[in-house]
Amino acid sequence: MTEDNAVKEVERETGSGTDLWSVIIAPFIWAAHFLVCYVGAAIYCQKLGRDADLGDIRLLVLGATAVALVGIGASTFRLWRVRGRSLTDNDFEYEHDTPEERHRFLSHVALMLCVLSAVAVIYVTIPMLYLSSCR
Amino acid sequence: MTDRQAEEQQLAAVWESPKGWRYWSDVNNTVVGLWYTATAFAFMLFGGVLALIIRTQLAVPENTLVEAETYNQVFTLHGTVMMFLFAVPIFEAVAILILPGMLGARDLPFPRLSAFGYWCFLIGGVFVCGSIFFNSAPDAGWFMYPPLSTEQSGIGADIWLLGLSFIEVASIAAAVELIVGVLKCRAPGMHINLTPLYGWYVLVVGGMILFAFPPLIAGDLLFELERLLDWPFFDVTRGGDPILWQHLFWIFGHPEVYIIFLPAIALLAMIVPTFAQRPIAGYSWIVLSALGTGFLSFGLWVHHMFTTGLPSISLGFFSAASEAVAIPTGIQIFAFISTVMLGSVVRSVPMLFCLGALAIFVLGGLTGVMVAVAPFDFQVHDSYFIVAHLHYTLIGGMLFPVMAGIVYYYPMVRGKTLSRKLGIWSFWLMFAGFNISFLPMHLTGMLGMPRRVFTYGAERGWSELNLLSTVGAFVFAAGFLILVWDCVRPRRQEPDAPRNVWKAGTLEWAARFGDNYGLRSIPHIDSRYPLWDDKDFTRKLDAGEGLLASAEEGKRETLVTSVLDAKPIQILRVAKPGWLPMIAAIGLGAVFIFMTFKWWIPTALGFALFLWATLRWLWTGTAEIPEKESKDAGGGLMLPLYVSGVRSSGWWAMFITMTGDFTAFLALLFGYFFFWTIHPDFPPPGVTGPGWVWPVMAGMAVMLSWGLTFASRLVNAAGHPGQARFLLVAGGIAALVACLAVLAGPWTSGLDPTTHSYPAIVWTLAIWVVAHLATGVLMQGYCFARSLHGKMTPRYDADIWNVTLYWHFAAIMGVVTCLVIGFFPMLT
Amino acid sequence: MRGHMRRGATTIAKVSALLVSAATLAACNTEQSMLHPAGEDAAAVNSLFWAMAIGAAIIWIIVMGTTVYAVLGKKRPKSEKFADRFILLGGVAFPTVTLAALLVFGLALLPDWVRADAPDLRVHVTAEQYWWRIAYEQPDGSMVDTANELFLPQGQTAEFVLNSTDVIHSFWIPTLGGKIDVIPGRTNLWRLKPTEAGVYRGVCAEFCGPSHALMAFPVIVEAQADFDARLAREAAPAAASNDLFLATGCGACHAIRGTEAAGRVGPDLTHFASRRTMAAGTLPISAENLAAWLLDPDHIKPDVRMPGYDSLGQSERDALVSYLLELR
Repeated sequence: MTEDNAVKEVERETGSGTDLWSVIIAPFIWAAHFLVCYVGAAIYCQKLGRDADLGDIRLLVLGATAVALVGIGASTFRLWRVRGRSLTDNDFEYEHDTPEERHRFLSHVALMLCVLSAVAVIYVTIPMLYLSSCR
Repeated sequence: MTDRQAEEQQLAAVWESPKGWRYWSDVNNTVVGLWYTATAFAFMLFGGVLALIIRTQLAVPENTLVEAETYNQVFTLHGTVMMFLFAVPIFEAVAILILPGMLGARDLPFPRLSAFGYWCFLIGGVFVCGSIFFNSAPDAGWFMYPPLSTEQSGIGADIWLLGLSFIEVASIAAAVELIVGVLKCRAPGMHINLTPLYGWYVLVVGGMILFAFPPLIAGDLLFELERLLDWPFFDVTRGGDPILWQHLFWIFGHPEVYIIFLPAIALLAMIVPTFAQRPIAGYSWIVLSALGTGFLSFGLWVHHMFTTGLPSISLGFFSAASEAVAIPTGIQIFAFISTVMLGSVVRSVPMLFCLGALAIFVLGGLTGVMVAVAPFDFQVHDSYFIVAHLHYTLIGGMLFPVMAGIVYYYPMVRGKTLSRKLGIWSFWLMFAGFNISFLPMHLTGMLGMPRRVFTYGAERGWSELNLLSTVGAFVFAAGFLILVWDCVRPRRQEPDAPRNVWKAGTLEWAARFGDNYGLRSIPHIDSRYPLWDDKDFTRKLDAGEGLLASAEEGKRETLVTSVLDAKPIQILRVAKPGWLPMIAAIGLGAVFIFMTFKWWIPTALGFALFLWATLRWLWTGTAEIPEKESKDAGGGLMLPLYVSGVRSSGWWAMFITMTGDFTAFLALLFGYFFFWTIHPDFPPPGVTGPGWVWPVMAGMAVMLSWGLTFASRLVNAAGHPGQARFLLVAGGIAALVACLAVLAGPWTSGLDPTTHSYPAIVWTLAIWVVAHLATGVLMQGYCFARSLHGKMTPRYDADIWNVTLYWHFAAIMGVVTCLVIGFFPMLT
Repeated sequence: MRGHMRRGATTIAKVSALLVSAATLAACNTEQSMLHPAGEDAAAVNSLFWAMAIGAAIIWIIVMGTTVYAVLGKKRPKSEKFADRFILLGGVAFPTVTLAALLVFGLALLPDWVRADAPDLRVHVTAEQYWWRIAYEQPDGSMVDTANELFLPQGQTAEFVLNSTDVIHSFWIPTLGGKIDVIPGRTNLWRLKPTEAGVYRGVCAEFCGPSHALMAFPVIVEAQADFDARLAREAAPAAASNDLFLATGCGACHAIRGTEAAGRVGPDLTHFASRRTMAAGTLPISAENLAAWLLDPDHIKPDVRMPGYDSLGQSERDALVSYLLELR
C-alpha cells in the first residue's frame, strides 16, 4: 500500500466514511424495490384487466429482487470489512467519544439495516410464490 | 458580587420570560413546550369525553342516548381529536420541552417557529373541536372517505379539512425545528453515537413527518378544490375516483401511526435505563430499529385498503411489508427487556407505566401481525376487532409511555414530584379499565359487530360484551383523571423536588429547576450518560467551566455544532420574545377558518396579515449582521456569529421544508398518473391537453429565473451587490413571465376543470407551480430589499443562499410540471 | 399445501371453538359470527385465526414472563454480549422465521382466479343508502330482481358483482367469508362458497352515513333444489296489483313485477312479504312495523331516502300495509 492510499484509508475511517446518508442506502434500496414491484404490478393489472395472467410481472419482480439483493449485498460486503476491524475488543456498545468509534457505530447500524432490508425484500417476493393472476 | 454570580444574572435576565400579559409573547422552548403539552392534554380530555359518549351509547342495545347524526359527529371527532390534536402534537410538545435540555442546547434553533406552530395548533384545534357545539362537526369518520364526505357532508367536512391542514402546518414546522435541533445543536463532543436515543427517534420521526404529512396536504388540497370549486377528483361521474383519496390519506395515515409510536417509545428508551440503573443495552440495535421502522412504515399503507378490491398481488406486497415492520419493532422491545435483565430495577411509577405499556403494546403488536395477513383482514377489517387492535397499539404504544414520561419529567419541568400513591392508583385503574374495555372487543368483533354503528339489536348477542367495555372505559377514565388531578392540583406547600430526582444519567437532568436558559454552561460531552460517568460533572457545569457561560451582549445564544462529531462551529443568536409568531398564526388561521365559510374578503385580509407578519418576522431577527465577526465561547474558543450556506441552520431549515414541500408536489404528480392508470384514454376523448408550446416556454422561463437567482448569489459573493440586485429583478420578471406561460397552456386550450378529473389535475399542477413561482418572486424581492438596506452584503449573504436553495426546488417542480402536462399526453 | 394446512388447523379450530362457546354462553346468536363458519373461506380464516391467536398468546406470555422475571428475579451478572445475543435471537431470528412462515401460509388464502374458472352462480349486488339491490343472473343472461335478502345454493361457488350508486359500502357475510368494499365507479368481484345450510346475516361494513348500522340482509343457504325452487318463485310476477299503491305514487320508486309499478329508485317489492325482514334487515315484517314505517321511515332509519306518508289517512295506510303483506 502506498502512503497516499494509507492516508486515504485513515481518512475514510475517520472522516466522511459512513455518514448518515450512506447508513440508509439499504432501506432506500428496499423502498425502490418495493415501489417498482407495487407500481409495476398495479399498472399492469389495471391496464390489462383483472383476469390477466401475471407472467411478465413475475419476471419484473424477480429481476428487481435480484438487483436489490445484489445492491444490498455489495453494501453489506463493504460494511462487513469495517465490522471485522471494530469488533476486535468485543465492543457491542460503540460508546467511545472518537470519530473512529462514530464511524464504526454508523457502519454497524448500516450493516444491520442491510440485513433487515434484505429480509424485507425477500418477504415482498413471497406472494409471487402463489399468485398467478391479477385477481 | 463575584463574576460567576454576575454571569448567572446576565443569563437569567436574557432568558427570562416576560411578565404579565406579555408572558404569552414568549418563544423559549421551556415555556412553549409547556403550553403545547398542556393544550394537547386538554384536547385529549375532550376526546376522552367523546369516547365516553360513544361507550355510553353502546352500553345497551338499541340505545337512544344520542341520535345517529350526533353519534357520527362524536366518533369522527373522537378519532380526529385523538390523532391530530393529541397523538401527533404531544410528540412535538414533549420534544420541544425536553429535547434542548437533552442535547445541552439553550433553546431550539428557531424558537419563533415553535411558538408559531403552537399558536397554529391551538387556533386550529379549538376551531375543529368547537364545531360540535354548533352541530356542525365532521361526520364521515376520521379518514373522511369520499364520496360520503365530499358529496353528502355539511360544513363539517370543510372544518375537518381546513382546520387540520392548518394543524399539519404546525407539525411540519415542528419537524423542521426538531431535525435541525438534533443534527446541529448538540453539545460539543456529543458524537452521533453518543446522542441520547430520544434524539435519534426525534430525527427519524421528523424525517417521517416530511414524507408522510405532505401527501395528506396534497389530498386535502384536491378534496377542498372539489368541495369549494367542484373540481371532480373523487366524483366517478366525471372521471374521478374515491380510491385516490384513500391512497393519499393512508400514505400519510400509516406512517402516522409510527410517528405517534416512535417518540413515545423514545421516552421509554430514556426512562428504562434510569430505573434499571445502567446504560441501555443494544443502543445500536435501537437506532437500527428506529431507522428501519421509519422506512418500512411507508410500505404499509395499502393494508388499510385490503378490502377495496385491489389485485391480490398488491395485497401480497403490502402484507409482506406489514409483517416485516414487526421485526424492528420487536428489536426495540427486546432491547428494553435486556436492559432490565442486565440492570437492577428501582420500582417507581414511571416504570410501572413502562411495564403496562409493554404488556398492552405487545398484544396490540401481535394482533397487528394477525391483521397484516390480508385474508384474515378481509374478515376483521372494519369490525370491533380492529377497534380493539388499534387501541391496544395506540394506548400501549403511545398513551402509557407518555404517561410514564409525564410522571418522569414532571419534577424536571415543574420542580415538584407527583404523588407515588396516586400514581399507583392511577396506573392500576387505567391498566385494568383499559383491558376490561378493550380485550372483550376482540371477541365482539369476531362475533360480527361492525365498526361505527350507533346501535345494535338485542338479539345480536353483543350486549354483555359491550356493557363490559363501557364499564371498563369509565374505570380507565377515572384512572386518567387521578393523574390529571395530581398534575394540576396546587402544591405550593410541598417541598421542591431535589435536582435529578431519579438519579438519571442523561444531560437534561443536569439543569437546575427554574433556569430558563437550561444548563449553567454548555459542557463537553464524552459519554452517553455524563451524569453517571463523571461524578464531578454538575460541579463543573455550575462553576461555568463549559461554553457560553455568560451573555454579556444581552442576546440569547446557543451553540451550533457539526452533524456527526458535534464540533462547535457557530454561536447562534436566537430570537427573544415577540408577538409576530402569534400574529402570523392568527393571520393564517383566519385564512383557513374564513375560507370554510367562503368569506373571501376576511380570508384575503387574513392572508395579508399573515404575509406582513412573516415578512416582518424574517426582516427582524433572522440573518442579522452581528456587531463582531466572532466571539469567545469560553476557554478561548473563538466561534463565528454569522454563518451562511450549507453550514448554517437556516439553510438546513429551508432544505428540510422544501423536502416536505416537494413530497406534496410528488403526491399531486402521483394523482396525475393515478388518473392515467384508471382511464383507458387519458386525456379523455375529445379533450386536448395544454399542448407543448406554452409548457415549453414556461419551463424555459422557470430555468431562466432560477439561473438569474443563482447567478445573483455568485455575483453578490464576488463582491458586486449592485449587479446582484439587477439579476434579482431580472429573475423576478422571468418568474412572472413563467407564471403567465404556465397558466396560458390550460387556459388557451380551454380546459375546464369542472368537467373531468384530467383538466382538474392539470390546473392543480399549474396552480401549484404558479404559487411557488409567486413565492419565489417574493423571495427575490426580499433579497433585493435586504441588499438595498445593507442587511445582506457580500460577506453576510445567508438570505440569498436560502432563496437560491428554494429556487432549486421551485425550478425542479416547474420544469417537471411543464414536461408532464406538455409531453405526457403525446405518449399515451 | 393449502388443503393440508387447513386440515391441520381445523382440528385446533374445532377444539378452540368449543372453548369459546363454553366461555361465552351469552353469545348464543351466531348468525353473524366469524367463529362459526359456514363457508369455505370463513372456515379457512377461522382456522388461521385460531392458529395465530394461540401462537400470539404463547408469545405474549413468554415476552411478559421474561420481563416480569427480569424485573423481579434474582440478578446474575450478564454481559453486553448476552444482551446482544438475546436481541439477535428474540428480536431478529425468531420473528424473521415465524413471520415468513405466517406469510407463506396466510397468503395462500388470497383469492387467485381467472375468468376461465367460471362460478356456479353469479349474483349482482348494488349497495345503496341504506339497502341492497340484488339480481340473480340466470343461465340465459336474464336477471331476477329482488332486494335485501340473499339466498345461495349450498356447496356452490357464487360470484358477486358489486356496484354502488352513491357512497362506499362494504359487503360482508361473516359466516361465509371476508368482506369486499362496494365502491362507486368500480365493479368489484367477490366469490363465496357456502358449505353449511342455514340462515345467516350480512351487513354493510364500511361507514356509509347515518343508517350505516341499519343496512343488513338475511342470507339463506339451502340445498340446490330448494334454491332452484325459490329462484323460480322469485322470478314469477306478483300476486296482485293494487290501485292505491299506484295512485299514491309508490310505483314511482318501487317495482312490483306484473303490475304497472316499475320504479327503480327503491327496493323491488314483488315478493316482499316472503322476506324475513323489512327496511334492510332492520325489523321483522309485521303489520305494526309496516304501519310505523309508512308513517315515518326516518324515525326508524335516519336519513332514509323514502319519505313519510303521514299525508295519507290511517285507512289508506292500513290498506297499503295489507296489500304489501299479500305480496308473498
